[in-house]
Amino acid sequence: MMKLKRFIFITIVILMITAFYSYSQEEFPMVDNLIFDHPQRPAAVFDHDDHNEKAGVEEDCSICHHVYEGKELIKDESSEDSLCSECHSLKTTPENGISLRMAFHNRCKSCHFKSNNGPVLCGECHIK
Amino acid sequence: MHSFINFIMGPMVWISFLIFFIGVIFRLIGLFKQINAKENFVYTYLSFKYSFRSIFAWLIPFLPVSTRKSPVFYSISYVFHLLLFLIPIFLLSHVALLEESMHWSWVTLSDSTADSLTLIVIFSLIFFFIRRFVVPEVKFLTRLSDFLFILIVALPFVTGFLAYHQFFAYRWMVIVHVLSGELMIILIPFTRFFHMFLAPLTRAYTGSEFGNVRHAKDW
Repeated sequence: MMKLKRFIFITIVILMITAFYSYSQEEFPMVDNLIFDHPQRPAAVFDHDDHNEKAGVEEDCSICHHVYEGKELIKDESSEDSLCSECHSLKTTPENGISLRMAFHNRCKSCHFKSNNGPVLCGECHIK
Repeated sequence: MHSFINFIMGPMVWISFLIFFIGVIFRLIGLFKQINAKENFVYTYLSFKYSFRSIFAWLIPFLPVSTRKSPVFYSISYVFHLLLFLIPIFLLSHVALLEESMHWSWVTLSDSTADSLTLIVIFSLIFFFIRRFVVPEVKFLTRLSDFLFILIVALPFVTGFLAYHQFFAYRWMVIVHVLSGELMIILIPFTRFFHMFLAPLTRAYTGSEFGNVRHAKDW
């Protein structure tokens, strides 16, 4: 009888652990990094809606999806219909001095540092 | 926490390099004052030609006779010193950070290459550590500080390796990585890490004497 009880107990524990792991291994949404030829790190973890809700930036898309003309930021205009890579190329160009990698990194980190919140170190976004 | 991370990865980097450069200048001024006071006869035979002849000869692997006498130690030492500079300078993460703050950038190693090279550095340091117990003439000269300096060099590489693989305590691993790297830069002028600057001067001194006075090779 004791052996049967122990067997059932252990089975339940194993099932719970498996359930926990299969649930926690659910894919995190990530930034689309297909444009990079040989990405050195896993794509950055980023859940757009979840992030904006937590950060309280749902109202103003132009915080991230900005529009620049030359070096001038155009206020009240946003660019959420275009990809970051449409302006920020892989390598810096005379028209745009901020490469795509740099645009991603600085866009995220500058806000996170200012707000004392969110990931700021390499492996906090590029999770292996 | 964010402002602390921002400080150690921002201003503290520049403070470390400032201390490094000022320290190096003061050490070199002190050194030349001492030479002028005690040994200014070296200027009578000091020559650029023989100085650089000696420096370059000692840079070529296995040209100097003494390096051929302990080939294992010199091979490891040679590769270790090369990688000590090569890895941090051409590491993608370092260059990316510099590009983002200063708009400076240059060619980088791939992360997987840097990863393997870092293991070579760590194994070299383990070799140097064991060597101090095993080789009698080295053991005789070993003091506690020798292990301390091995540890100081090992820290940024070991924590960098562990942080890259995100094994555990990621944030703390990066913090210790950054701080130990800065500690190493600050310590260079004030400790025996200063052989980085003294070694070529020693070669110039010896090379000039051998070339100009004894008319012999010093390798």
